[in-house]
Amino acid sequence: MFNKKIFSFFAVFFLCFLFTGANDLYARDGAALFTQNKCNACHQVEGPATDKTIEDLLRRNGPELWYAGSKFRPGFLGKWLADPQPIRPMEYYSLTEPNKNDHPRLPSEEAKAVAAYLMTLTSGDVGGAGIVARKNIKGKKVFAKEFSCYGCHQMRSRGHIMGGLSGPSLAGARERLNPEWVYAYMVRPKVFKPVKDMPVYSGLVNDKKMRNLSEYVSNLD
Amino acid sequence: MRSILYIFLFSSILLTSVPAADAAGVKEIYRFYCAQCHGLEGKGDGINNREEMPVTPRDHTSAGEMGKLTDEDIISVIKEGGAATSKSTLMPPFMKTLTDDEIIGLKDYLRELCKC
Ligand code: HEC
Ligand code: HEC
Ligand code: HEC
Repeated sequence: MFNKKIFSFFAVFFLCFLFTGANDLYARDGAALFTQNKCNACHQVEGPATDKTIEDLLRRNGPELWYAGSKFRPGFLGKWLADPQPIRPMEYYSLTEPNKNDHPRLPSEEAKAVAAYLMTLTSGDVGGAGIVARKNIKGKKVFAKEFSCYGCHQMRSRGHIMGGLSGPSLAGARERLNPEWVYAYMVRPKVFKPVKDMPVYSGLVNDKKMRNLSEYVSNLD
Repeated sequence: MRSILYIFLFSSILLTSVPAADAAGVKEIYRFYCAQCHGLEGKGDGINNREEMPVTPRDHTSAGEMGKLTDEDIISVIKEGGAATSKSTLMPPFMKTLTDDEIIGLKDYLRELCKC
């Protein structure tokens, strides 16, 4: 009887710990693991973006992660870091070398801890616009007809992967990208990536279209 | 006399230090933004030229194709994208990405590539 009470006390205590304190602890371990694994050698974790010239960008060995917590869907990073699959069809900013599919891989517990840490890196420029991933016919029109975004981005179309190779693949964007981030990235490109080989569309596309476009892109499977 | 000399010196510094977009810079811009579709040498064979695409990127070395375009056509197609010359929207608009000087520099560079 007594043992049962003690047991349930500890069980409740443990569950509370899991749901509240554990994530913080996890994130702190994750930050340490990030440094130990030399992830900093290729990834910038402190904002803001500082690139001014093409050379600044080409000196980098990997995409910046200082707004990872705003960019990615919860749950995506833990899985990806344990089993990374190519997102960009080519090596980072290469026009000749295909992605070698050799990104460092983490054991799944470490991957979860690093993911928890990365999810704490957020940007105040993302959120509150009311963008949700959904089937959006108007957005599809902007994507496929008005701007042919598939010219540089792979996507799934009727079960097949198609599209250009220079940009990150948008196949599976629904599992990967936060819809609010997609919108913010399109509307305020300079905040996230001042120099990149994707054209700037803000100022060319009105807000209604940007919203439809972002919802469509965020829903690509 | 001296002040005239200063004015002369000063304005020559101004003139030489604000080149619109120098040749090396333009080539770098081309290789960064345009080569992904048009190819590093401009032959229309960049990595985004996939067989499933409705049209192929223009071969910028082809005098036959490029010769049909006026300077204004070239500038407006770079600024506004393929729609400007009733071509495919696979050719993106760079109006908000590149400065007017850089776009004029690219037009000159394309004329060199096609020798037309
Ligand atoms: C040698 C350089 C290098 C190292 C070291 C490295 N990465 Fe990466 N990372 C890359 C490149 C390049 C990509 C893009 C891969 C792709 O698109 O498929 C990438 C992609 C990522 C992404 C997805 C980012 C995005 O915007 O798509 C995350 C998250 C990430 N890395 C985390 C890590 C972590 C955590 C470590 C340490 C365990 C690490 N990386 C070590 C080069 C590196
Ligand atoms: C000329 C090629 C090109 C075109 C056209 C293009 N993109 Fe991109 N896009 C890129 C590249 C390259 C990147 C990666 C930039 C970086 O982070 O270095 C990118 C990044 C993105 C991202 C972020 C993906 C990620 O995982 O980081 C989104 C979303 C996106 N593009 C949407 C669009 C939409 C919508 C359009 C059409 C309106 C479009 N793109 C047109 C080349 C292009
Ligand atoms: C996403 C791929 C892509 C990118 C990036 C791109 N182009 Fe194009 N471009 C095309 C395609 C495709 C065509 C052919 C359109 C057609 O025939 O309908 C084209 C056509 C052109 C034409 C001929 C237009 C005409 O009316 O015949 C010019 C000039 C041109 N591009 C210049 C450039 C320059 C300069 C850049 C870089 C600033 C650039 N392009 C970047 C895909 C691209």
